[in-house]
Amino acid sequence: MSRRPPRGEYIETDTGNKVARKATLVGTQNIMLGGKTVIMPEAMIRGDLVRTLQPSPSSSGAPPNNTAVAIGRYCFLSRGCCLRPPGRLYKGLFTYMPLRLGDHVFVGPGSVVQAATVGNYVHIGAKVAIGEFAIIKDYVRILDDTVVPPNMVIPSFSIVAGQPARVIGEVPEGGHEAFELRELYKTVGNNPQPAPV
Amino acid sequence: MAAATTSSSKRHSILPPAQSGPKPPVQFSSSITIADSAILIGTHPITISTESVIHPRARLDSLGGRITIGRRCIVHERSTVGAVGTEGGSRSKREEQPNGVTLGDYVTVEVNASIETGDTVVGEGTHVGVGSKIGGGAVVGKHCTLTPYTVVAAGETIPDYTVIYSNGLRRQDRRGVAELRNKGQARQIEVLKRMIPSNPSKFQ
Repeated sequence: MSRRPPRGEYIETDTGNKVARKATLVGTQNIMLGGKTVIMPEAMIRGDLVRTLQPSPSSSGAPPNNTAVAIGRYCFLSRGCCLRPPGRLYKGLFTYMPLRLGDHVFVGPGSVVQAATVGNYVHIGAKVAIGEFAIIKDYVRILDDTVVPPNMVIPSFSIVAGQPARVIGEVPEGGHEAFELRELYKTVGNNPQPAPV
Repeated sequence: MAAATTSSSKRHSILPPAQSGPKPPVQFSSSITIADSAILIGTHPITISTESVIHPRARLDSLGGRITIGRRCIVHERSTVGAVGTEGGSRSKREEQPNGVTLGDYVTVEVNASIETGDTVVGEGTHVGVGSKIGGGAVVGKHCTLTPYTVVAAGETIPDYTVIYSNGLRRQDRRGVAELRNKGQARQIEVLKRMIPSNPSKFQ
């Protein structure tokens, strides 16, 4: 009895994305992955919540941009996290706005991200709630159990913690190498490599 | 094959099995929006009133008692309404038709929030934040705001217009924006109605 090789836990795309079969992606046609992104099991992305209002009426005839969630390279979405675009009333109408993640963004297990923009090299800890339309700049570390209130802007190189979130420190000089996620990317997938010590 | 064995070994969990549970009797209004991948389980009836929205992967569990959801409520993904709590459910155990959870009109239950069963009441216009937990038998008043990761103890009574922060701090909301919030909720539902493919017949 011949059997096909067992299906891996992850789907690996040509651009190096590793998406767990048990991840819940809703509205996949509106989710952009930059490449080399890891989506672990039970992570959830709401791509179906697209913006209803287009910024300018399509006069140039270009197709409307329907991206709901855009993710950069080397992002790592841990188990049980949830990315959903933020929504608000705009000119009397309710609309969702796109959620953008930069490169090398780590989202910890159980976190809910409803930010407008997350910059590059951002580390979001476990069980963090990021409120709607928060803007997180580059090289930010958000510690576990933080509640980032809606519309908060977190400047670059800050360390943030607390309920509600406050800037409690700065990323030390030379500390930004710790945000690099290339090594972590290699440790998951269908044939994971052990993490370097 | 391997998956089957692992899942059978996982069945020893104390939690009720996910989707294999009994199909509850439902009473839907014709104007609700319920996603295909919502999870409805339990033995007691589940009632959802007009224009409410149930997001994908939201979980309504009526094992511990009847679930009633008011008008224009939004239940977000991965939230649980009617979770079987550790101590909840004792108050109405002997009744024929125990009340599990009652959500008033215009209630929002955010992502990962959990409302335990056992005659729990959430009043009109209340916003239950991300990852919050309301214990069994708690009565939350009207137009309250529960910020992310708030815990309301079982059996607690929260007065109307209370704001509860995740660190336990409470204050009264005197802004008087309840009407506006309800209007905003109605707008949001209009949009969600178009976005979430509804499939109420799957549950009926």
